[in-house]
Order: sequence, then structure tokens, then C-alpha cells
Amino acid sequence: MTCDQTKALFADYWSRSLSGTNEAALEVHLAGCEACRGELDRLGRLWRELELLPAFEDAVEPGPKLRPRFYETLSAYRQGLESAPAPKLPPGPRLASLWPRRVAWQVALSCALLLMGIGIGFAVRSAPAESRGSEVAQLHAEVNNMRQLVALSLLQQQSASERLRGVSFAYRVEPSDSEVLAALLETVNHDPNVNVRLAAVDALHPFAASPAAREAVIQALPRQTTPLVQVALIDLLVDLKEKEAEPELRRLAGMASDPGVRQRAQWALEKLQ
Amino acid sequence: MKTTDNTLMAQVSNGEISKLAMLFERHHRALFRYFVSMNRDRDVAEDLVQDVFFRILRYRTSYDPGKPFTAWMYQIARHASVDQAQKRGGEVVGIAEYAGWHVEPASPAAGPEERASHNQSLGLLQRAMNRLPDDKREILVLSRFQGLKYEQIAEVLGCEVGTVKVRIYRAMRALEQIYLAMEKEKAS
Repeated sequence: MTCDQTKALFADYWSRSLSGTNEAALEVHLAGCEACRGELDRLGRLWRELELLPAFEDAVEPGPKLRPRFYETLSAYRQGLESAPAPKLPPGPRLASLWPRRVAWQVALSCALLLMGIGIGFAVRSAPAESRGSEVAQLHAEVNNMRQLVALSLLQQQSASERLRGVSFAYRVEPSDSEVLAALLETVNHDPNVNVRLAAVDALHPFAASPAAREAVIQALPRQTTPLVQVALIDLLVDLKEKEAEPELRRLAGMASDPGVRQRAQWALEKLQ
Repeated sequence: MKTTDNTLMAQVSNGEISKLAMLFERHHRALFRYFVSMNRDRDVAEDLVQDVFFRILRYRTSYDPGKPFTAWMYQIARHASVDQAQKRGGEVVGIAEYAGWHVEPASPAAGPEERASHNQSLGLLQRAMNRLPDDKREILVLSRFQGLKYEQIAEVLGCEVGTVKVRIYRAMRALEQIYLAMEKEKAS
């Protein structure tokens, strides 16, 4: 292997993507070529140091206005698409040939078209509420879909403050949205940040009508070890008047390690009587 | 299971415009860093991120679901960056003017001399990066800062993977030369 061929392998060597054959060939060449060995070493050091530059990690963050700007643009774009008129097609020569040449026929045809227009107008007017209602429902569904996406995206972010924003977005989706409910329950059970877990417990209130949500809240209770979150879940169960939670509450009232939690569980049992 | 970028973009392409929000959440930070690395101006970088997602919307029907979304997005980002540079007449903000740019401090365990030397050396490397010609800086940014694989970089730049590897080697050599020259300047 020549020096030039060796240098073509440097990039793979630095990124640790060298194949076994090439690695062996590189080692053989390096063993006998001090110049290539030195260069690979020097440049490799710089390659590793590049990782320490600020742009490499999270040191460079966009400003807070970028996200709202994007969502505004997206929303405007969608509105533009929805309200865009259908492209105008030039009238074909066939259509022009259908128009009569004699004035009397022209007047007759115009009157017929006018009457037809009035008829269509009445027909459309007789069933407007239904079609308008379906348009509004469609728009409503799309807005909800967008909010759901934002909430789900934010709940997956690394930063706790972003996840908190995701929780607050969850209030804006339909309470029947099972994906957002699942994401909130996941947050309650597994988010490493107590504040995010607490906010997620609060955000579960609107989902109270769902039996699955109520059951999931009861199941979440024994998984929690932080007294603050345990108390928040107990309060939620009391708000929901969830009698099914009594066995779990009795267990907490007798066995919870935190006296505040024991007391709150006892209070909840009394409330649910 | 997490929906892949390619699937999301295919959905956007088919008219599900709102799915772009998911792609924005996944990629806007990385894109922002790419533009800051290339242009060294936060405001311009934010405008460019906005521009990229707008272009994705406009050209959504031209997306080929068989190709990786990331490479396609960086292709668009490059075009946006070039257009922006032309608008500004090639003006580039100097590193000293970019207040938000500072090197990572050395580990707290290091002594004061060691830390100062570490910071100086990284500061020098940062300035050397900024003095690299655009094409060389770009390939290092895509590879080292954006974490793109060589195959993806080849897609973005429209060249062979082998060419990418050779260009990376050349960029590293150029970086070393600039770095050493600056070190000499400093010593004299």
C-alpha cells in the first residue's frame, strides 16, 4: 500500500469504520512509514479535539422565538392551501362552439342557465348546515391533530422545560385522545423530573371520563416513590371519586414510608366513603 | 415505536402537512447548529432554519421516500445557505462579533495552568476552523458536528463516498496547517 492509498483510509480510521482488511493493510504500512504514522496521530488528535468545540454539543441553542415562528408559518401555509382557489382552465374551443349564434337562442339559453342556477342555489341552501358542520368538524380534527403532534413531540424532548411545555399542550387536545393520554401516563410513571411528573398528574384531570385513564392512575400509584407525586395522585383519585382505588389507598395508609403520604391516603379513604 | 423521518416526510409529501411539526422538533436544533457553524450568526441561522422548513413544504412532492430524509434536508439547507450568502453579498460575521461563541472550559479537576492552556488551545482550534475555506469547513461540520455518516455526506454533496473520505483528510490537513500557523503567529 502506498502513502496516498493509506491517507485515503484516515477518515475511516478516525471514525472507527475501517474494515478488517483495510485495518490490517494500514497497520502494515504504518509499521514501516514514520511520516504517515506521525500524520495520522497529529490529525487524529485534532479530530478528537473538534468534539470539544461548542458547536458540537448543546452549547449553541436556538432562541425561544424560533418554534412559535415555525408553527405560525405552518399554520399559515395550511390555511393558504385550504383557501387556494382551484386553478382556472382556459375555456376550450368545444365549449365556445356550444354557444348559439342567434341572439334569440342566446337569450333563451341565458334564461335557462339562470333558472338552473337559482334551482341549484336553493338545493344547496336546503342542506347547508350539514356540509358546513362537516367542514368545521374536519378543521377541528386537524387542529386537534396538530396540537396532539406538538404535545407528543415536546413530551419526548430531553430538556425538562420542553417536556413541561408538552404537558401544558396536552390540555389543548381532545380528552378522548388516547395517544396523548398514553404519553402523559408514561411521563407520570417514568419521567426523571419530579416537576414534570407533577404537571403530568394535573394534566390527567381532563381525561377523567376515560375508564382506562382512571385505571391507569390507580396502577401508577404503587409505582411512585416520590411523596409529592404520590400525594398528587391521591388527590386526583379523590377528585375523580374513584372507589376502585380503595385497596391501594388502604395499603398506602398503612405501609407508605412517608408519614405525609400515609395521612393523605387515610384522608382520601374517608373522602371516598 | 418511533415513526421514522422518511415515513413522516412521505406523509407530509402526501398532504399530511401537520406531520412536519414532528420533523421540526427532531431536527431544528441540529440544523441551527449547522448554520451557526457555517455562518456564525445566530439571527441568520434562525432565519435559515425557518427557510429550510418552508422549502421542505414547498418542495415536499419532490421528496423520494427511498432516500434518507436527513441527506435531503441538508441538501436543502446548503441551497438555503448559498442563497442567503448571495443576498448578503458574501458577508460573513467575524468570530469576535459572535458573542455567544465560547469554548467549553477544561475539566474542574485540571489545575489553573492546564485549564488556561486547554481553553487557549480550543480557542485557537475554533479560530482555525473559522479560517478554513467554506467547502472544507462544511465537510468537517457535517461529519463532526452534525454526526452524518460518510454515505449521507456523499448524498448531501452529490459525490462518491470515497471522495468524501479524501476531502475529509484534506480538510483536516488544511485545518492543521492553519492551526500551526496561528500558533506560530501567537508565539512570535
